[in-house]
Amino acid sequence: MADFIFRYRWIIILLCLLTGAGSVLIIPRTKIDPEMRNYIPQSIESRVETDKIESEFGVQDMVVILFSDSCIVSSDNLNRIKNIDRSISRINGISSRISPFTVKNIKSEEGMMTVDPLIKGIPSSAPDLELLGKDILENSFARDIVVSSDLTTASITATINNLVTEKETLQKIDSVISSNPGNAKIVKGGLPYIRQSLVKDVGKDAIILIPVALLIMLIVLKASLGSWRSVLLPFSIVVLTTAFSLALIPLTGWKMSIITVLVPVILIAVANNYGIYLVARFQELSFRHPEATRKELIRMLIKSLNMPILFSGLTTVAGILGLLTHSIIPAKQIGILAAAGVSLALLMSLLLIPALIFVSGSGLTLKNRKRDRAKLFDNILNNLSKLIIKNPGRILLVSALVIILFASGIAFLRIDTNQENYFAPKHPVRQASELINSKFGGSQTISVMIKGDIKDPELMKGIDRLTTEIKNQKGVGIVFSISQVVREMSKAIYTSTEDGYDQIPDTREAIAQMFELYNMSGSPDDFKQLTDLDNTKAHILIRLSDPENNIVKSVKARISELTVNIPAEISVGGYAMIMSDFAESIIKGQISSLLFAVITVLLLLTIIFRSFKGGLIGSIPLTASILILFGFMGYSGIALDAATALLSSIMIGVGVDFTIQYIWCFNLQINSGLSYPEATSSAMRTIGRSIIINALTVMAGFGALMFSGFTSIRFFGYLVLISIGSCLIGALVIIPAFLMKYKPGFLGFETDKKKTGKDEKESNIIGVTTAAFAGSRSTA
Amino acid sequence: MQVAGQQPDAGQIMNKSRDLSITSSLSANINLTITEKGGASRNRTIAMTTKSFADGLEKRFIKFIEPADVRGTAMLVVDNKNSADEMWIYLPALKKTRRIVSSEKGKSFMSSEFSNADMASPAISDFVHKHLGKSGMNNQWIIESTPVNEDKADEYGFSRKISYINMTSNQVQKMEFYNFDNELFKIIEIKSIFPLSDGKYMVKNMVASNLNTNRKSEILFSNISEGVKVDDSNFTIQNLER
Repeated sequence: MADFIFRYRWIIILLCLLTGAGSVLIIPRTKIDPEMRNYIPQSIESRVETDKIESEFGVQDMVVILFSDSCIVSSDNLNRIKNIDRSISRINGISSRISPFTVKNIKSEEGMMTVDPLIKGIPSSAPDLELLGKDILENSFARDIVVSSDLTTASITATINNLVTEKETLQKIDSVISSNPGNAKIVKGGLPYIRQSLVKDVGKDAIILIPVALLIMLIVLKASLGSWRSVLLPFSIVVLTTAFSLALIPLTGWKMSIITVLVPVILIAVANNYGIYLVARFQELSFRHPEATRKELIRMLIKSLNMPILFSGLTTVAGILGLLTHSIIPAKQIGILAAAGVSLALLMSLLLIPALIFVSGSGLTLKNRKRDRAKLFDNILNNLSKLIIKNPGRILLVSALVIILFASGIAFLRIDTNQENYFAPKHPVRQASELINSKFGGSQTISVMIKGDIKDPELMKGIDRLTTEIKNQKGVGIVFSISQVVREMSKAIYTSTEDGYDQIPDTREAIAQMFELYNMSGSPDDFKQLTDLDNTKAHILIRLSDPENNIVKSVKARISELTVNIPAEISVGGYAMIMSDFAESIIKGQISSLLFAVITVLLLLTIIFRSFKGGLIGSIPLTASILILFGFMGYSGIALDAATALLSSIMIGVGVDFTIQYIWCFNLQINSGLSYPEATSSAMRTIGRSIIINALTVMAGFGALMFSGFTSIRFFGYLVLISIGSCLIGALVIIPAFLMKYKPGFLGFETDKKKTGKDEKESNIIGVTTAAFAGSRSTA
Repeated sequence: MQVAGQQPDAGQIMNKSRDLSITSSLSANINLTITEKGGASRNRTIAMTTKSFADGLEKRFIKFIEPADVRGTAMLVVDNKNSADEMWIYLPALKKTRRIVSSEKGKSFMSSEFSNADMASPAISDFVHKHLGKSGMNNQWIIESTPVNEDKADEYGFSRKISYINMTSNQVQKMEFYNFDNELFKIIEIKSIFPLSDGKYMVKNMVASNLNTNRKSEILFSNISEGVKVDDSNFTIQNLER
């Protein structure tokens, strides 16, 4: 392999540079997809049903504009709302809207049924305004739908269509609002605005997080490797592979989701590892063999590092590929992108770094070995190894208790798919959502479509029962259905003392004629979202004031109960339902990806340690870390969501390295004839520090996520500290104590059949990680 | 070909055209077909009698024939020239007559693409009329009508309308409606007319196409009787329930 690199060094360098340059050119083509419904496969039931409903009744995504003032029913405020409402009604991208100026008063007065606008003219005198306020509160289509019951907030809810782009529609709405200034405070919410903010913030996140992560990595590399030239080699791998992974997004036709920003950060945190090993090892070899030529040093380097780097890379890729078993589409994509990036980092590290060393060579030697800093580590690790040697049983017991304590938190683990919660509490989108949820029945919806003869009184009564019952469910804000219109009309046709008042009529003809009456008096547009033209389909729109997953599930269950006896075909869909399925996907994906990653890593460990028992023991820190991670999430209230669900797979991929390194090193000490306590002390001294620095490097890289604009991604950053931290403790406390206590039989496996004695030490993973960080004891 | 300066006032042309289509009394059956984008259609048949009174007052009596579930439903519409229309409807299944007050002319006529205004004869003074560039060529006036104010624009539901009028007969052949983004959203084409006495005419067949929804509505008049002697007592609420 060394000869291959010497021979084709320029081609290797050129190919790598071309890959990087090509990737940089492709990256600007990346598009962002803020639509969370695209995160789950189209074949999932709720998506199929939602598409079916939307093909009949249009997209149900609503823009909600809220006007808040101490009293919203004033001439100034009403005139402003009227002007804005009028301009919004004229925007092509708006299919329908509900505002104080669209709501009708259906009244029965002296034998007349009047269908009049709620606000016929804007009053100017205080008594008239007071009267209007009273009218609003008495109107069941107005109160808490277009004006809050405390009369402080009014809303315009506009349903968007696909005639023009959503971006254009929102721009027009914004321009309408800015050209109508006034006293009332305006906030804008609803899914289209959430999507707009997501697009803006995803882009902003990428612009902030990638440079921050690169900067952190640069500092870490400089601290670890000393000279800038040494830093440049692993750093170039980071930049090239990060660019490559990002370029894969437009190349594959995928789009950047809110969680795809994790890909570059994963690569920045992980892709440098192999480069660090190689550069540090080269520094080490140069130091130890000053007489050797550059070619000889590179031959030694390749010989000693290929296997351990390959193990390390393969376990990382295996863990990350666990994401492929997720049904969340961006999770699969992240799995592929990150695995491709790490694989390329592996390949580039094995080819490009030796090639670059060969052509540049000098300047890679360590000039200043930082012994003082190393001493601190040595003291800590010495004390730790003494503790482990003395009390392995107690350490295991305490560890088990701590793990059990954390694991019990899993009972409190919750799932959150509400994308409103991606934003910080002070974000305008989050504030608007809270206002909509608390005062206007929420903006996230469940849709029920009923296919049948809608004029059939039995069916209409079924719809009415469903409407009335669902309204009383916890978390349900407002329900709109055709049965409410029929009942409201019956109030205008009959007097309150007559039979039939506020009731669904008993004959098909009566319902048909009521529809005709409304067609003649109001506008069929008023309920075009509630029934279709030939009355063969009805649509019940349920707005949720609390779109939390458990609420959605209970509403869904209640709908099933209430529709079981309705003689019609029922479809249940809507955004909230999709999000509910999304939550299910997260749980299933979490379980399957964990199983995949754990089994694959177990197999790899079995191969590496040449023992199934060894594989099982090697899996202990991972299992413990998974329990600690989920338990911590349960206790701290951090929910499992689209981002945090990916953490365990990434943690397995990255964290397993530490255990491999420790066991491999410990085994070498045993093979060289040391006793178990001596081997523990020696392994801790030689490999412990490298493992700690390796873990800190990964944590530092992921630390950039704490600068994310999204709560969920920030939580991911915090959780990486917990999970990688627990992997680290697992590898340096639990595993040493376990090996000390039980002295498993698989130890003593051969690391390289061809080598013995001193040479062997140079060809193993100890050398890799020991040398990886400056000031290694083994080089003293 | 006429030079722009010699063109008659656009408002006058519109007024003349409108007067030609107003008759003193008439009875006819109207068949309304609404065809969805996918081809599904819905039919409705009504019998209508109209009579003109002094001061531009027009009364219409409508009885539903098809579909069966609304058969017998009857309506009386009093079209006041200078105030909101009055409308009474009798629902036989509920045995109730109710008066309906509605002021929005832009609203759909019986759920079709036609608005109430398309079915009546909107006041000329509600609009500002002007000739467009090619008006006067090819024996055709092309006149743009813009609502006089924002309230009227809201009432009618469009920002401007372009009428294509035959210069010889003064009959409207086509109307194009523009939304508030100044995009064409609806076209009404007059397919055939029914000649009345005194050179007057009425539209016999017209099609409205909504370019946004791709829905089409067609109205076909049949059994047209002009100048029928209809007693004023026919246009009463009592008559609705007969």
